[in-house]
Amino acid sequence: MNTFERIVVEPFDRLFEKILQFLPNLLTSILLLIVGIAVAGLVRTLFSRLFRALHIDKHFERIGLTESLSKGGIKEALSAIIARGIGWITFFVFLIMSLRALDVPSVEQLLERFFLYLPNIFVAALVLLFGYMFSNFLGRAALIASVNAGLKVSGMLGKLVRITVFLLAVTMSLEQLGIGSGTTMMAFAIVFGGVVLAISLAFGLGGRDIAKEYLEKKIKGEAKVDEIEHM
Amino acid sequence: MNSVILREELLSKIGEIERADILVGIPSYNNARTIAHVVRAVQTGFAKYFPDMKCVLVNSDGGSTDGTMDIVQSTTIDDLHAILLQHRIRPVFKITTPYHGVPGKGSAFRTIFEIASALDAKACAVVDSDLRSITPEWVELLLKPVIDHGYDYVAPLYQRHKYDGTITNSIVYPITRALYGMRVRQPIGGDFGFSGGLAKHYLTKDVWETDVARYGIDIWMTTTAIADGFRICQSFLGAKIHDAKDPGADLSAMLHQVVGAAFNLMETYPDIWKKTEGSAATPVFGFTYAVGLEPVAVNLDRMLDRFRLGVKDLMDVWNLFLPKEITAFLQHAAAAEKEQFHIPDDVWAETIYWFATAAHRRTLNREHLLKSLTPLYIGRTASFVMEARDSDGEDVEAKIEGLCRQFEKKKTVLKEHWDTRGGAA
Repeated sequence: MNTFERIVVEPFDRLFEKILQFLPNLLTSILLLIVGIAVAGLVRTLFSRLFRALHIDKHFERIGLTESLSKGGIKEALSAIIARGIGWITFFVFLIMSLRALDVPSVEQLLERFFLYLPNIFVAALVLLFGYMFSNFLGRAALIASVNAGLKVSGMLGKLVRITVFLLAVTMSLEQLGIGSGTTMMAFAIVFGGVVLAISLAFGLGGRDIAKEYLEKKIKGEAKVDEIEHM
Repeated sequence: MNSVILREELLSKIGEIERADILVGIPSYNNARTIAHVVRAVQTGFAKYFPDMKCVLVNSDGGSTDGTMDIVQSTTIDDLHAILLQHRIRPVFKITTPYHGVPGKGSAFRTIFEIASALDAKACAVVDSDLRSITPEWVELLLKPVIDHGYDYVAPLYQRHKYDGTITNSIVYPITRALYGMRVRQPIGGDFGFSGGLAKHYLTKDVWETDVARYGIDIWMTTTAIADGFRICQSFLGAKIHDAKDPGADLSAMLHQVVGAAFNLMETYPDIWKKTEGSAATPVFGFTYAVGLEPVAVNLDRMLDRFRLGVKDLMDVWNLFLPKEITAFLQHAAAAEKEQFHIPDDVWAETIYWFATAAHRRTLNREHLLKSLTPLYIGRTASFVMEARDSDGEDVEAKIEGLCRQFEKKKTVLKEHWDTRGGAA
């Protein structure tokens, strides 16, 4: 009997005891999660209404954010996206609270590591967002400048600048996240260097006549140039 | 006097002169090649037309390194008999000073206004330092309407080649006239006369750290004078020939500066231009005559290529603010054969108003917006050149008059959409 108790009953007792100890934590955790879902929904609705009342989308439109996002295929109002984001953050806070409420050491460790990594995700997201906006801005600047310079390849140049800047931003955000840090930077350098080399070769081999004609025009004077005084 | 920009030695020079009847200012920056002629013309103008008045010549320099200021100081009229003058009753005072503040023509003018105000000058004028065609008569024509007729602002009228001054003819003149209701033919001429009172009024404006100080001073002076209710007239000065500008000067940068300055002023005076209807003629002084002008070479094919390239590649940018009818028209025009190519006055006027509305709404980056106007402007210029190919000066003026009427008519587009949000209708 003693042996049976020691081998079978005691472990079950201990397990039962542990489950009894853990049950309130689990219930608290589930409750927090349910409350979190409700609060997140409420916060999202409240912020959505507040943004609508403040006409915040018009301000975003004025500073060009709406245009940048719609160019990236995001057609939804930015205020709705932000309200949803705030809702998700609220839910996320409750999720963490519920996980902590479980009081399980391994979950605690996981959370700690996650919290330490969180700033990297935030910075990477910011780099990506600004990189995207900056790439659009520079791409358009290059497009307009090359059209005004009369370059037939303006469209391609604009796209090239946009993609290059965005790729750089992607590389930087991956670097921030610590994903293949050396490799991504090297890959970017190789791709970028390759593009520059390809363009140089294309101009060098394909554009010899154009270069010759251009230099001749510069040295001998352009054959027929506008003399209009615009001002 | 409580000037904050005049230096000690300048203040003591002003103290010596005490007061002035008339003052002519010459802004300069590395104009050693041309400024002597301008200084001589001004001095002769003083001697010939204002012999009994206390005259001051001010050179406001932007830090020239080619000895411009020394040339101004040393230039005198050696032989008054050669220009049929006996003597001058009163001496001419000369002030040469580097200006302070943001580098640009506007800051140079500010110093001139400060000196005019300190000397309590009755009438003032400013003339460009690179002028080849200035004569002593310009001094009379810019100052006499102020002194004898009580005008506050004298805008220049020049005889120009029919293809020259296209930014003025196709944008700045029509829009200034339609917005503020006065027909000032050369609102950015560069050579102006103005009363001492107006110089003091200019100094009260808080613009001297903005683009006005850099490059937008000409249109700002004209618009401020009109919008603030000063008496305006024009003087016919003949041909305007100046030192050859840098041929590589970027057209899109020019458009950005000039059109941007005009659009900025729309933000300053919305109440004025919204209530202005039609336009009134401005009195003209001086003897109008035709001037033989050098022919101007135009490469139409290249201009059309630039327009077509813009339509091909910048349509995504224009779609953000131009209405569908205009973008559809532009595509149609780009596909047209050279001989059929035409951008009519009403489409052009409406296009400019939509650009102004987009600038006001900040639909996209301002520099991008204004520089994206370049291919359209080139297209419109090509259309004008083709239209005016066989026209004489009078016909060309009639065409510009027609364009101005369209700007006045289409102003409703601007009024309707200025305070509303969102894209084009």
